[in-house]
Amino acid sequence: MSARSLSKGCFVFKPSPKKRKVSQTTADYFREGSSDLEDSELRFATCQSLWKQVKSETEEIEEELNEQLFDNLVSFLRRSHSAFQEKTTEWTHRMKSREIPTAALVLGVNVTDHDFTFRSLSEFLQNSVTPYVALLEAKDCPGIKKLMQKLLGQLMNCCVDVDSSEEEDYEQVSHNRIRCSMTSLISWHGIQSFLFCCLLFINAHPMALKRTDTETPGKKRTSSRHWLSPPVVVIFKDMESFTTKVLQDFVVISSQHIGELPLVLIFGIATSPMIIHSLLPHSVSSLLCIELFQSLSCKDHLSTIIDKVLLTTQFPLKLSEKVLQVLINIFLYHDFSVQNFIKGFQLCIVEHFHSNPLSILCCQLEEAKMRVNSLSHNQCENIRRLPSFRRYVESQVSEKQIALLTADSSLKIRELHCACLENRVWETEEYESSLQLARMLNKSDLVTMLQKCVEILVSSPGKEFDEIVEKLKEFLTQFQKLEEVYQERDETVSPQKELQKKTDLYHLQKTLLELKESRRSKKLTKFEMLRFEVVDHIDSLVRRYLVPADHKTLHEIVYFNAASVLREHLNAAPRIALHTALNNPYSYLKSEALKSDGGSISNKAPDICIAYKLHLECGRLINLVDWLEAFSTVVTAAEGPTAQAASSDQVDDVIQYPFPFLPQ
Amino acid sequence: RTLTKKKDKMSNLVEEYFEAHSSSKVLTSDRTLQKLRRKRLDQQTLRDLLQKSSLAYAAEIKELNQQYESLFSKWMLQLHLGFNIVLYGLGSKHDLLEKFRTSLLQDSVHLVVNGYFPSITVKSVLNSITEEVLDHIGTFRSPLDQLEFIMKRFKEDSSLELYVLIHNLDSQMLRGERSQQILAQLSSLPSIYLIASIDHINAPLMWDQAKQSLYNWLWYETTTFSPYVEETSYENSLLVQQSGSLALSSLMHVLHSLTPNARGIFRLLAQYQLENKDNPSYPGLSFQDFYQQCREAFLVNSDLTLRAQLTEFRDHKLIRTKRGADGVEYLLIPVDDSTLTDFLEKEDEDV
Repeated sequence: MSARSLSKGCFVFKPSPKKRKVSQTTADYFREGSSDLEDSELRFATCQSLWKQVKSETEEIEEELNEQLFDNLVSFLRRSHSAFQEKTTEWTHRMKSREIPTAALVLGVNVTDHDFTFRSLSEFLQNSVTPYVALLEAKDCPGIKKLMQKLLGQLMNCCVDVDSSEEEDYEQVSHNRIRCSMTSLISWHGIQSFLFCCLLFINAHPMALKRTDTETPGKKRTSSRHWLSPPVVVIFKDMESFTTKVLQDFVVISSQHIGELPLVLIFGIATSPMIIHSLLPHSVSSLLCIELFQSLSCKDHLSTIIDKVLLTTQFPLKLSEKVLQVLINIFLYHDFSVQNFIKGFQLCIVEHFHSNPLSILCCQLEEAKMRVNSLSHNQCENIRRLPSFRRYVESQVSEKQIALLTADSSLKIRELHCACLENRVWETEEYESSLQLARMLNKSDLVTMLQKCVEILVSSPGKEFDEIVEKLKEFLTQFQKLEEVYQERDETVSPQKELQKKTDLYHLQKTLLELKESRRSKKLTKFEMLRFEVVDHIDSLVRRYLVPADHKTLHEIVYFNAASVLREHLNAAPRIALHTALNNPYSYLKSEALKSDGGSISNKAPDICIAYKLHLECGRLINLVDWLEAFSTVVTAAEGPTAQAASSDQVDDVIQYPFPFLPQ
Repeated sequence: RTLTKKKDKMSNLVEEYFEAHSSSKVLTSDRTLQKLRRKRLDQQTLRDLLQKSSLAYAAEIKELNQQYESLFSKWMLQLHLGFNIVLYGLGSKHDLLEKFRTSLLQDSVHLVVNGYFPSITVKSVLNSITEEVLDHIGTFRSPLDQLEFIMKRFKEDSSLELYVLIHNLDSQMLRGERSQQILAQLSSLPSIYLIASIDHINAPLMWDQAKQSLYNWLWYETTTFSPYVEETSYENSLLVQQSGSLALSSLMHVLHSLTPNARGIFRLLAQYQLENKDNPSYPGLSFQDFYQQCREAFLVNSDLTLRAQLTEFRDHKLIRTKRGADGVEYLLIPVDDSTLTDFLEKEDEDV
C-alpha cells in the first residue's frame, strides 16, 4: 500500500476491522517518547492537571478582563432596545431615518485572541439580553445569499437551543425550519422578499412560542416573553475582511425592515473605527447609529496573565529568564497575541514534563514531600547527575558528600530541604522586580522610586504571602520609619530641584555633577547613612534569597530553561535553515570532506549546493547553458582525479541530471 | 559662487548616477540550449540515468534521518495535545513522512495527500474525507458546505479520529487563500491531526495570523538532503523533452500571465468545449463562430486581434487547430474534460 498514483492525489487508508485495536491514548505516546519509563504516567497526569489549571485560570482572567466591556455593551443594547419598545421620540426619529443601532468594538490587531472574546460575548448576550445572537464570519459570507443563509440558520438554531425543552416546541420549530428553508429556496430571486419572509418568521416565532406557553403553563418562561420582543443581535466578527458589497447590501436591506425588527449590529474591528467609513459609503454609513467600544489593550492583558499565572506560587512550574524573554519577544515583536503566548507556555509545560525525568517533583509542596519519600534509586541517581546538585555537593564537607552520593535516604532529606528553600525563593519572586528598583537607587536618588518600592513591598506581603520571612517585616517597619525621614529630606531637596528646573539641560548636568561631587566629599548625612543602611539590607537580602535561580540547588525541577527548543518550534525560520543547508552542508552532514572555508565552491558538496552557489554568483538572469557548463566544470574537477577513464559523453549525461530537479 | 559650484557638482553626480544605471543592461550570454553538445533527454532515459547514479553522502543522510525518526513518538504526543506539525528544511520529506505513516499510523484511519500532484484540489481532499472516511454518499453545493458537514460529523462523533499527512502543503494547487482557509479549519478540529511538509522558501507567507492560529503549528526542521524524486516528477523543465497533456497547474500558470480579455477568450472556448463534451463527433469550434461569439462578448474587436491571440495560445500549446472535411479551421483545447472542469471552477473562485 503506497500513496503513489498517476491519477489520484488523495489516499485514504483504513485499518482492517479485525486488526483495529484500541487506539493508543496520549499517555501512551508520552511514555514511549520520554526517556524514563518508571513514573511517566504520574508525570503525564501532573502535566495534564497543571495545563488544565493554567488553562482555566487564563480563561477566568480573560473573562474578568472582558467584563467591563461586556457590561457596557449590554447597557448599550438595553438602551437602544428600550427606545424601540417605548417608541420614544428618539426611536420614531430613528425609524424615520432608518438608523440601525450599531456598536463598533475596537479590538486591536491580535486577531487570534478575538475568537475567545466573541464566543464569550455571544454567550454573555444570550444569557443576559436576548436569545437571538448570530455570529458571522467573513469567510462564511462571500455573498449576501450566503450571509442570509448563515444568519437565518444561526438564529433558528439559537431559538431551538434556548427554547426547546418541550417536545411540542421542538416539533414546531423543526417544522418551521423546513418551511423557512423552503421559502428561502423559493425566494432566491428576490432578496428583499426573502428577507421579509424570514423577518416575518422571526417575528412570528416568539408569538407561536407564547401560544404554547399559555397552553401548557410550565415553569419555563422564556426570556422572549420577558422582553416582549427581544432584539436580534448580529455580530460581524471581522469587519475588515467582509467585502464591501455584502456589508452594504445587508445594512441597506435591514434598514428597510428596522421598523418591524429590532436589529442591533456589532462590528468587531481590528484596526481603527475609521475603517467603517472607508468600507461603507456615506449613504450606507448614515444608516447606522454607531457607538464606539474599546477593548482592553493586549499588553495589559498579557501583563495580568504573567502576574497571575507565571509569577504566583500557585503553579509549580516556573520559566527561566531566557524562556520568558523568548515568549515576550514573540509577543512584542511579532503578533501581540495572548493566545500564542499561552500556547508557548503550554509547549513549555509539555516539554518540561516530557524531557525531564525529575519533573515528577514539580508539584505542590505537600505532594512533593510524598513523592520524594517514594523516589526510586534510579531517580536519586538522576538527581545526583544534575549539574546544580554537583555544585551543591562540592560545597559540602567530605563525609556528607559520601553520604549524599551513596545513601538514598539522606539524599531524600536533603532534597526536601532544598525543595522548601526553592519554594521560598520563588515565593519572593515578585520581590525581584521591586528590589531591582531599590538597587537603582545607588545610581540616582529618586526618592519617589523608593517610596514606590516600599509600597510594593507593603502590598505584596499583605496580600499574597502570609508565611513570608520574619525579617522582611522588620525591614518593612524600618522602611516606614525611613519614609518619614525621606519626607524631611524632601523638603531640603526641593530648593535644589527648583534650581534645576530653571536651568537648561547643560546646566542641569553640570549642577548634577557638582551635587554628586559635593555629596561624595561631604560626610555622610543622616539620610545618606540611612540610605546606605537600606541598600545594604536589601543587598544582603537579595544575596541571601534572590540568587538567580540557576545557582540554586535542584532548580532544574521547577524551572524550564530550554529557550532554544521553544524558539525553534514556535518561531522557526525556514529561510535560514534552507540557506545554511545549501551554503554549508557540513552543518548537517557531518562529513570531513565537506569541511570548507566560507566563500569557495567545494566540488565535494552535494550537487544541489554547487548549483545553488553558482546561481548566487550570477546576477539577476541566468543563462542555462552557461550555468550547466560551470556546473560540469566544478563536478568534473571533483571526478577528475578518481575517474579519468569515463567517457566524456557518459559524464555529460549524468551531469545534466541535477538540473531538472531545480525549479524552472 | 561656491554654492553654484557645489550645485553643479551635485547635479553632475546625480546625472552620472542615472547614466550609470540607465544604461546598465543586464548582461547575459546569447548561448542557447541548441548549442549543447548533448541532445535533450526524454524522461525515460533521465529516470534510468538517475537510478544508476548513487546518492552521495548516503551514510550521513541516513544518520540525519534516524535522528528525525526518533522524534516520531513526540510528534504523536504533540498531535494529540492539539498541536499540528509542519516540517521544513532542504531535501525531500516524502520518505520521512512515509516512514512515519508506516511505523505509527498503520492501526488508525489516515489520509495521505500528495500536494505536488498537479491536478489536486482542496475539493478532492474534502471528497476523500466525506466519501471514504465518513462513508457519506451525496454531493455538496460548495466546499464550504462540505467542510461544515465534516466539522459537524467530527464534533458529534468523538470516536472519529483522522490523521492527515500532506506532502507539500505549499504546492501550486494548494497555496491559494481559499484552499488554505479550508485546510486550516479542518486542522483546527481536535480530532483531526495534521502533519505537513513545506518546501517553498516563502511558504509561511501563505498564512495570516488567523490561519496560523487555526493551524496551531509546531515547527520542526528536518533537513534531509534527499532528492526530490517524487515531487519533481511532475515538474516541467526545459532540459527534458515533455510529452503528455497539459496539467491543470501549468494551465493556470500560463493563463494567469495573460490579459483579462485573453482569459475571457480562452474561457469561452473552454465552456463551449465542455458543453459539447458528450458529443463524440464534435469537431471543435470553427474560427468564424468563435469570432462571432468573442465579438458579442466584447472580447475582440477585429479578426486580426483574435488571430494574434490564438497564435499566442498555440505557442503555449493551449489550443490545437484542425482542418475539417469542409476546409474550415476548428479549434480544440487538448486537455481532458475533468481538468477543464477543474480549471473553470478555479477561475470562478478567483473572479
